[in-house]
Amino acid sequence: MLAGCAATGALLLWAWAASAAGNPFLPVAGAEFRSTLPSGRQDKVVVRGFLLQRHPVTNAEFLAFVSTHREWQRGSAPVILADAGYLGHWAAPLDPGPGAAASQPVTRVSWFAAQAYCEAQQARLPSWYEWELAAAASATQRDARADASWRQQILDWYAHPAGDAPAVVEQGAANVYGLYDIHGLVWEWVHDFDSLLPADADPERFCGSGAQNLQEKENYAVLMRIALLGSLRAADTGHTIGFRCARDAGATR
Amino acid sequence: MKRRAALIGALAWAGVLVSQAADVPGDSLYQLRATLATQGGTQAGFDLYRGHPAVLSMFYGSCPAYCPMLITAVQVYESHLDQTSRARLRVLLVSFDAAHDTPQRLAELARLHRADPQRWTFASAAEPDARRIAALLGFHYRRLEDGSFDHSQILALVDAEGRMVASTTKLIGDAAFEAKLRALTASSPP
Repeated sequence: MLAGCAATGALLLWAWAASAAGNPFLPVAGAEFRSTLPSGRQDKVVVRGFLLQRHPVTNAEFLAFVSTHREWQRGSAPVILADAGYLGHWAAPLDPGPGAAASQPVTRVSWFAAQAYCEAQQARLPSWYEWELAAAASATQRDARADASWRQQILDWYAHPAGDAPAVVEQGAANVYGLYDIHGLVWEWVHDFDSLLPADADPERFCGSGAQNLQEKENYAVLMRIALLGSLRAADTGHTIGFRCARDAGATR
Repeated sequence: MKRRAALIGALAWAGVLVSQAADVPGDSLYQLRATLATQGGTQAGFDLYRGHPAVLSMFYGSCPAYCPMLITAVQVYESHLDQTSRARLRVLLVSFDAAHDTPQRLAELARLHRADPQRWTFASAAEPDARRIAALLGFHYRRLEDGSFDHSQILALVDAEGRMVASTTKLIGDAAFEAKLRALTASSPP
């Protein structure tokens, strides 16, 4: 009986640590922003202020979610919403095991699963523009994209072999918003991931029709994100793709 | 005794509901739970045509060229079916512009194009359901700064269980798609 109470207590404590308290939503001020994506006639897009989670969702955080959402456990999620690799590196449906540390970003999650997770936190996935705005910031500047040394830092990460599991979150420096690991650990799902390029652009021919309309062409790291996201289907899972959630700035939670 | 019978009845009914949901195959598009607002002013699930072969697509009503083209294209494809087969087919067109495509506007579209209300439904889905449906169908759309949309085109053919049988990006004259449509509607129960 006592052991049961202690176990419950430990579980509650653990659940608290894995909850939003450990991965708060931080404000990103709105901006008129020159996106890499073509935006019609306008040169810039207006991104309203929003909230973004401090780090990519971790294995512990995702475990808390699947514990209470049985339909998203490995083996229960339908294959049309999450492919056969879904959480494939976890030891068991409710046990990440030694291959997936608690504070590593969760990967091998589909876009549908990421969306469901965010909805369960009364949140949503960020839009591409929101993610891109947050990702343009360095530790000192809101828009560091013209800074060649900052750009090189990011490219250095992309040059790393992707074979290893991602490192644990929040080991590097935060950007001006206090956000960690926007670059450097995992690719991240965004709400409109599959509609970034013009609809008539063939993703297989990214260098042709797709890329010629892009702006900020010197920002290779972001171009690579767009190319990668454009090649994915919503049920795909990959060992380098994770996510974090966003909320509207007006949201009070 | 009566109460017990009622309880058993309730349990059996609950069992039917659960097993129905569980019966949807894992590769069925109807695994998605999404809410549609229909031309009739009612709410429906994305699986409202479960039990019938169906053509599914997306659109937005204020597009002057594409929207009528899409509707006409589906009407042309189904006009090539014999009457029995055509009677089996259902058509669900989902607008991703829920703010503008109100039930009234959807009903107006249906009237304008003489879409058979027994077999056709015009509906709209709000975010994020619209994006989810699009992801399942392989349809892409993006709102541009001027309020219009950049979008792709696709027709998806699903069987009675919601499994994708064929899809085409050709609004006109895709012979392979048409053959699948004919085969599926010839064999399905009415």
